Amino acid sequence: MKAFDNYNPITVFIYFASVITIGMFCLNPVTMNPLILFLSLAGAVTTYLIRNRTEGAQSHLFFFVMFILLTVINPLFNHNGVTVLLIINNNPVTLEALLYGAASAAAIIGVIYWFRSFSQIMTSDKLLYILGNISPKFALILSMTLRYVPMFEKQTQKVIQAQRGLGLYSDTDFMSRVRGGTRVFSVMVTWALENGVITSDSMTARGYGITKRTFFSIFKFRRQDIILSAASVILFLIILAGVISGSVNFKFYPEISYAGTTVISVITYIAYGLLAFLPAFTESGEELRWKYLKSRI
Amino acid sequence: MEILKVENLSFTYPLCNEKAIDGISFSVDRGDFITVCGATGCGKSTLMRMIKKELTPLGDMTGRVFYKGRDINTLSEAETACSIGFVAQRPEEQIVTDKVWHELAFGLENMGIARDIIRRRVSEMTCYFGIEDWFEKSVSELSGGQKQLLNLASVMVMQPDVLILDEPTAQLDPIAASDFIATLSKLNRDLSLTVIITEHRLEEVIPVSNRLLAMECGKILKYGETRQVVASLRENDVFTRGMPAAVRIFNSFDLNGPCPLTAREGRDYIESNFPNTVISLEETDERNDKKETVLEFSDVYFKYAKELPDVLRGLDFKVYKGEIFCIMGGNGSGKSTCLSVAAGLHRPYSGNVRVLGKKIKDYKKNELYRECLSLLPQDVQTVFLKNTVKEELEDVKSNEDFLPYDLSGLYERHPYDISGGQQQLLALAKVLSTSPKILLLDEPTKGLDAYAKKEIGDILKRLRNGGMTVICVTHDVEFAAEYADRCAMFFRGEITSCGVPSEFFSGNNFYTTAANRMTSGYYKNITTVSDAVKIMRMNRTEGAL
Repeated sequence: MKAFDNYNPITVFIYFASVITIGMFCLNPVTMNPLILFLSLAGAVTTYLIRNRTEGAQSHLFFFVMFILLTVINPLFNHNGVTVLLIINNNPVTLEALLYGAASAAAIIGVIYWFRSFSQIMTSDKLLYILGNISPKFALILSMTLRYVPMFEKQTQKVIQAQRGLGLYSDTDFMSRVRGGTRVFSVMVTWALENGVITSDSMTARGYGITKRTFFSIFKFRRQDIILSAASVILFLIILAGVISGSVNFKFYPEISYAGTTVISVITYIAYGLLAFLPAFTESGEELRWKYLKSRI
Repeated sequence: MEILKVENLSFTYPLCNEKAIDGISFSVDRGDFITVCGATGCGKSTLMRMIKKELTPLGDMTGRVFYKGRDINTLSEAETACSIGFVAQRPEEQIVTDKVWHELAFGLENMGIARDIIRRRVSEMTCYFGIEDWFEKSVSELSGGQKQLLNLASVMVMQPDVLILDEPTAQLDPIAASDFIATLSKLNRDLSLTVIITEHRLEEVIPVSNRLLAMECGKILKYGETRQVVASLRENDVFTRGMPAAVRIFNSFDLNGPCPLTAREGRDYIESNFPNTVISLEETDERNDKKETVLEFSDVYFKYAKELPDVLRGLDFKVYKGEIFCIMGGNGSGKSTCLSVAAGLHRPYSGNVRVLGKKIKDYKKNELYRECLSLLPQDVQTVFLKNTVKEELEDVKSNEDFLPYDLSGLYERHPYDISGGQQQLLALAKVLSTSPKILLLDEPTKGLDAYAKKEIGDILKRLRNGGMTVICVTHDVEFAAEYADRCAMFFRGEITSCGVPSEFFSGNNFYTTAANRMTSGYYKNITTVSDAVKIMRMNRTEGAL
């Protein structure tokens, strides 16, 4: 999936903030609605899959195992609930606890998957853009750090290689490794200060600190961003209202009980379904548009 | 129109008795391309920093600098920051931000310029420099040459009238350097940008500059039209040594007429003034044939990671005892990798490397480096670990009597504060303390002036005469032609040609010395300026007879 990457970072941020907030908000005993949590997990996994397709397939297996573990561990330690399934070591394992485990596992893994997509889409320069709108100065510091850390690392490697090539660096035993490490580190501090001088010259030469900085970025806020941000916010508010009204309340303990199916609850479910699958929609919309354009060519 | 005027400028650094700059006055017209040259430490860089107000160092300054008739101290900060651009030597450290586009916008952001205008100026500059392809890249992905072009572009977006450059190409390889100079020359022609540049590598920059400012000990030795200054400093050896080959040849004779600056002009000068009755110099072959192999690569393959392409592909060569072996070739052809494989820093996945007849794998930890082999990396700063030169030497228990040169004058200085040539000598001293039989050098002449190059070259010769084998990776064809016993051309991970310099360079048409380019087809097997001068002298006397 690339369509979502082309949105303005602010839009992307608003979207993920809404969908993750609801996903986490529902992780409390009163409003822990399995349908919402399931929608969150399904939406998160779909979003991730569309973006990465078959890449990194093993990681899904890891999260699947984690899901099972989280599900199974809860009933082993939590003995609330009225429907006893079996008894281990005089401790009852209840259906409610098992389902609670599954629901919380869905919530946790759902949020993890949302963050996985989020960190892929929100590259450092996009985060910087969001920050830059709030504080240009802080954004610059972050940008410089992002440049400096890899540079420092690379130079450290170069120094170690250089010393090794001179036969002045040995890492045969622990002590010599520590000694070599400290020597290199101390010279790296000097190096950092030394090069900091050149960088700061280069900054003053280009007028740093004369007036209030503006913040430039290559991202634009387009019509599609307005639409997507508005959709995210509106859906978020609808769901929030639905959740607060109590019509999607869901309790596991002592026995499963939930507010009945009402118009409000159905609207809330639909709204969250839409929100969770928004990236999938934009992506298939994009794909359809290309197919259509292609058939016209 | 006069754009810049320096009036009786003097400067003394704090705690120094001597003036770094002593009563300098000159004026610059709009659209001038001025090259400032002189030996290391003559005050070139200080002068550059006096003109760029923001970078003026602390110290005692007298005299004035005028920009468009106004004293630069009366100009607003924004005005000086924009109108006078500055590019320094090290490409890497001048970059401030992490993305190319952000770096381009940095100066304009500082000026508080609106986003739309920044967008317009940045896009304009990207197109002009032809750097669209890397616009969205991280700066860490760029090569040194690209980084320096980025530095230039991010100064140019501020639309300066005067551009000051302090040895901008010292850290670049020759191809990137000539690209950079070509871009400067284009800016100068297209935008009538005023350029003031200090340089050691004058071969490229002299032909494009219209004025030359020669400095000596903080004073102006000569200032004026390039050809005139070059011709008038004929007798000055320090000055002539760094000049393009054509100039050095011209200066070796006392013929009148315009001084040639480029290889083409040099060729015309030779052909119109000297006959070619004697075609080649007699070969003086001092080499003995009893050769002992000290380093041998046989069918070596290497790559940095499984999924990456091969860097060395079936590399095969031998280096004999007591020779200076120069490896040349383009960027990324695997030259430096070859050295680190030879130094045992990387292990080939196929093939054998033998050092002194023993397989490199069979050397135990660090045994290889004990009196056997030593590698001096390209960035000599990575060699230094201490706070003073003295500590640096004590650290390796270097026996200074053994050194073929003297560093005692620098004992109390910090290794980072001494000149590039001195750093190279200090690094070399550290390497020599392990008394290696094989010395591996990566770009030992990078960023050095002609004098320091000669010093390094002479030291290498002396070491070789003492029985040491020197293997040297270099871009510097002139250096290789002068000092190497054998040269090799590296291309895509293997050596494609190899031989003694005179044959090696005469066989090449493009990758060769300026002296060879000027004389090929006219004389035979001429690679260095001194050879060229010698054969021209012979022809002259021959013609006179």
